[in-house]
Amino acid sequence: MLKLHTLKIIKQEPVAPGYQRLTLARGIAAQAGQFVQVRASETFDPFLRRPISVHDAAEDRLVLLYRTVGRGTALLAAKKAGETLDLLGPLGSSFPLTDRAQAVVVAGGIGAAPLYYLLRTLKRAGKQVSFFYGARTEAELLLREEYRALATNYSEATDDGSAGSRALVTDLAAPAIASLDATVYACGPSPMLKEVARLADYYGRSCFVSLEAQLACGVGACLGCVVPVRGQEKYRRVCVDGPVFAAGEVFFC
Amino acid sequence: MTVKIAGLSLANPVMPASGCFGYGEEYAPFFDLSRLGAVVVKGTTAEPCAGNPPPRLAETTGGMLNAIGLQNPGAAAAREKIVALQQWSVPVIVNVSGHSAAQYRAVIEVLDDLSALAAYEINISCPNVKAGGMAFGTDPAVVAALVRELRCATKKPLIIKLSPNVTDVTAIARAAAEGGADALSLINTLLGMAIDIERRRPVLANLTGGLSGPAIKPVALRMVWQVTSAVEIPVIGMGGITNARDAIEFLMAGASAVAIGAANFTNPLVCPETVEGIRSYLAENGFASVREIVGLAKKEWQK
Ligand SMILES: Cc1cc2nc3c(=O)[nH]c(=O)nc-3n(C[C@H](O)[C@H](O)[C@H](O)COP(=O)(O)OP(=O)(O)OC[C@H]3O[C@@H](n4cnc5c(N)ncnc54)[C@H](O)[C@@H]3O)c2cc1C
Ligand SMILES: Cc1cc2nc3c(=O)[nH]c(=O)nc-3n(C[C@H](O)[C@H](O)[C@H](O)COP(=O)(O)O)c2cc1C
Ligand code: FES
Repeated sequence: MLKLHTLKIIKQEPVAPGYQRLTLARGIAAQAGQFVQVRASETFDPFLRRPISVHDAAEDRLVLLYRTVGRGTALLAAKKAGETLDLLGPLGSSFPLTDRAQAVVVAGGIGAAPLYYLLRTLKRAGKQVSFFYGARTEAELLLREEYRALATNYSEATDDGSAGSRALVTDLAAPAIASLDATVYACGPSPMLKEVARLADYYGRSCFVSLEAQLACGVGACLGCVVPVRGQEKYRRVCVDGPVFAAGEVFFC
Repeated sequence: MTVKIAGLSLANPVMPASGCFGYGEEYAPFFDLSRLGAVVVKGTTAEPCAGNPPPRLAETTGGMLNAIGLQNPGAAAAREKIVALQQWSVPVIVNVSGHSAAQYRAVIEVLDDLSALAAYEINISCPNVKAGGMAFGTDPAVVAALVRELRCATKKPLIIKLSPNVTDVTAIARAAAEGGADALSLINTLLGMAIDIERRRPVLANLTGGLSGPAIKPVALRMVWQVTSAVEIPVIGMGGITNARDAIEFLMAGASAVAIGAANFTNPLVCPETVEGIRSYLAENGFASVREIVGLAKKEWQK
């Protein structure tokens, strides 16, 4: 159940320059795709909590993977093992499992963060998973070996060709989306998500994407985090109706 | 801890501010809502309202901008949510918004028979609705006429919520009091904006939004002081409250009760914690009731 937690930090590791993995000492019954609202400072400066996806979870463990981009994530990165973290969660929707035996999972940059737990969940459910991992450069393909170990088929793409194919990850994933009778999952920058959604729609695959928005409350109360619903004069909240949406619901394909 | 406002008896002087607590259900997992003095629900309009396109939020130094644009399910659908709040046996105050006097009246007509509804808070100050809201809040004659009209539409208490985006807030406050308001609440958000220098364009799709949070507290406190000096009716003070100390400042400035808005987002327990903080302050300083500290700073100032 959704709750306010004070969790002990057991590990804070840099996994690449500017990227941290934070391990907390207790699980919060989170599912793949859900997120937590982290309080980066005990004061109201910065004013709002920071949303971070659940990277991995177990009964005794909650793991976050994040990129340091501004003040909040810098404060989070400065926290050390032994200190505690105030967080709200688990929040939002999760990636649904379908009756398909195969899955295509597409990650762009730090969008890989929630997909690790998804890969574990899919693997446990006995699915055949093709994972496509895209980043700007090799250094930003975080935790490659750990992701590779969870996938049945694993491919990489970088913008500069420093690892895997020099290609857009969506071009790399397109043949799999076209040929496999699979459910498609994606998290990453919005142009990437739109392209994955377009491909999935074209080939008639069901597709789930995880979206980002500026949040305030994270619990559905402020109505600040909305995205337009396809074809309707209506909005849905990223924090409770999402962050995972059926692609057809939020994108014009 | 009890206070009387607009004929309502509240168990304590702390309530969440409109638009920052949904219809209560989002915060019910965190604490027992009956610990609140009252619940103020989201701005409700006669018809369902989709709200503004995103982005609707921007974080700022010491606060945030919002341009929600009054997204709400409309008065008819709000009925159920208001009734559901009855389980907490806490007074429910419904924030009413509209673009015309007729629209405000339409909301009251749909909701007035609900016994769960303790009072209306009439939002004449929303900065995010292009056609309406603010126009009402900035002209004393229009305010007096609107309040008079709504006064005839209901027997329930009317709390008029004032905009800070005016030259002289006391003129509006007097007009609302003359029109027959039972109480006032202030302040609503201050009109502001933000620009994303990477994208080289305004952050909010609405261009402007309402500023709330700690950054606005000094402005809010000054206005509460001025308004409580200008009118006899009680005032619910709000704007940037994040803890009991802030709340006590508002009470000492003359507010009879306080509302907490954006701070709920960061600390979902801010309301009950503020209630407890005020309780300890009163006990530690030998005050028998909240009433004893209402306007206390004014009395000291006048000595
Ligand atoms: C549901 C959800 C889940 C999320 N999950 C994760 C996650 O698992 N891991 C993760 O790392 N992030 C995640 N994010 C994003 C994360 O919340 C933001 O990165 C974080 O809030 C930034 O806070 P900050 O205070 O560090 O940055 P702020 O000071 O708030 O400002 C940072 C903003 O400015 C821009 N910016 C600033 N510096 C840079 C820069 N160097 N390069 C590019 N842009 C810049 C970015 O647009 C960013 O949004 C998630 C967001 C949502 C909505
Ligand atoms: C996201 C958000 C939505 C709001 N919606 C409403 C509303 O519907 N009606 C209203 O009268 N005030 C609304 N307000 C204003 C608050 O009720 C309050 O007056 C203001 O935010 C100042 O208090 P604060 O600094 O504690 O947030 C809203 C504020 C925020 C932050
Ligand atoms: S962040 Fe408040 S409703 Fe989503």
